Amino acid sequence: MVWMKLIGAFMRASAQEELAYRENFWMQVLHSLLNLAVGVLGISVLFTQVQHISGWNYSSALAILGVYLIVSALRGLFIGPSLEALAGLGQEIWNGQFDFTLLRPANTRFLVTFRRWRFFALFDLLLGVGVLAVAVSRAQQPVSLLNWLFFGLTLLAAVVLLYAALLAFTSLAFQSPGMVFTWVFDAIFQLARYPVQIYPPALRFTLTWLVPVGMMTSIPAQALTGQLNGWMLAGSLALAAAMLVGASWVFDRATRRYASASS
Amino acid sequence: MNLRGGWALIRGTWLSWMQHRAFFFILAFGWMVPPLVSLLVWSAAAGQDSLGGYDRGGFVAYYLVLIFVNQFTYAQANWTLGDVIRMGGLNTWLLQPLPAVYQVLSSEAAGKTVTLAFVLPVAGALALILRPELQVSGSALLLFLLSLALAWLLRFMWGYWLALLAFWYTRADALLAVQDALVFLLSGVVAPVTLLPAFLQGAARLLPFRYMVGFPVEVLLGGLPAAEVTFGLAVQAGWAALAVMLAALMWRAGIKRYSAVGG
Repeated sequence: MVWMKLIGAFMRASAQEELAYRENFWMQVLHSLLNLAVGVLGISVLFTQVQHISGWNYSSALAILGVYLIVSALRGLFIGPSLEALAGLGQEIWNGQFDFTLLRPANTRFLVTFRRWRFFALFDLLLGVGVLAVAVSRAQQPVSLLNWLFFGLTLLAAVVLLYAALLAFTSLAFQSPGMVFTWVFDAIFQLARYPVQIYPPALRFTLTWLVPVGMMTSIPAQALTGQLNGWMLAGSLALAAAMLVGASWVFDRATRRYASASS
Repeated sequence: MNLRGGWALIRGTWLSWMQHRAFFFILAFGWMVPPLVSLLVWSAAAGQDSLGGYDRGGFVAYYLVLIFVNQFTYAQANWTLGDVIRMGGLNTWLLQPLPAVYQVLSSEAAGKTVTLAFVLPVAGALALILRPELQVSGSALLLFLLSLALAWLLRFMWGYWLALLAFWYTRADALLAVQDALVFLLSGVVAPVTLLPAFLQGAARLLPFRYMVGFPVEVLLGGLPAAEVTFGLAVQAGWAALAVMLAALMWRAGIKRYSAVGG
């Protein structure tokens, strides 16, 4: 498979680049641990004051945080760095180097999705899995095999949704280079640290169906605790498929607007 | 002190930043989301009751004021200062007939006005929707303005001396990230300080971080006894004085060590 070979080559190149800055490693460890501490302490402080909030207790809220960290880590592994190289501050769309990406004999959308890898994100993934494991072990009853399956499916849908949302926000950069639209998404994504049910109804609807950051964390956590009904499972899978198709279409349309950087 | 030149620099920076205001609006949106999430979480947690002396309207008032104070005191200029020292941009600063602190102050002033032009209307609109309960006495307002000025001085100067560590250590901006995390936890952003567990509350009372954001808000809301306000203002002034001294010392020692990388 030529695609797998290409991805392998991208991974090797990224790993070599990352290994060149070894001193950075400890800084990244520090950042990851701070992020973890802030998340865990935030939830712990909340649950020293209340036992339940909108049907969630301490361990199920921890499960949401675990899913949040896992999804963020998968984003940091390749989706984030790859799209960042396209539309970040002073990157390809801005300085015109996107010309060279367009000219490559491979699908452009494939290239901009998979070309940068950041293997340190595996450490973040480990932290997320750790939080999730603590949450699962604190739950009253063990998680059934079926619920693990639903969890896997909804987590997959979450990653697809995250990718689609980021691709759509990245496409906006073709309209006005110099604006980092993914920062808007990053800001909204922070709302996904907490159960989507605690937000006011209009916001809850927006975060579930329109900018589905709630779908990315609350739904997998619900699948794990067995609170997910079949409709929401089907809904999240359907939404993921629809958003993937929609975002790909938007991106392909947007690249047509690209007029390089020369004056 | 070259006041006329300093004012010209501040005005020039402000005018150029206003051209890119959409960019700063996005940044400001990202900075206001963490307190906004706390607002929604705590008002859901409070429901019809009250927690630690705050009911739903109280939480809304607390966090809307906090969003303003957080933006007003946030010193984004210190993030760029480290880069300027590392990349050699400081060379230009040193050649100008102005104390270098004017450069940082000019981006402070420009950043404040541009971001507040976004944050104040948004906070106002949120106040209309969420209906805060706020009664402010004249004396509380005066004390608030005093502690707000001290909070700005403290947060700016504290970040300034941390950023100046870039003279010795290139990754000193990691310490700014640590400061942000500590502000989030101890300064009443994740929860009002009175709702924190006892050991965190004790730490918050003595460390400088609560006095950068949370303290002025508590003063305005009038929940603190008079003795506690006096104690707080004294601690705030003490830390601010220490930060000014540290910044002056660091600058004097660092500038001797600076070896003008790049250009």
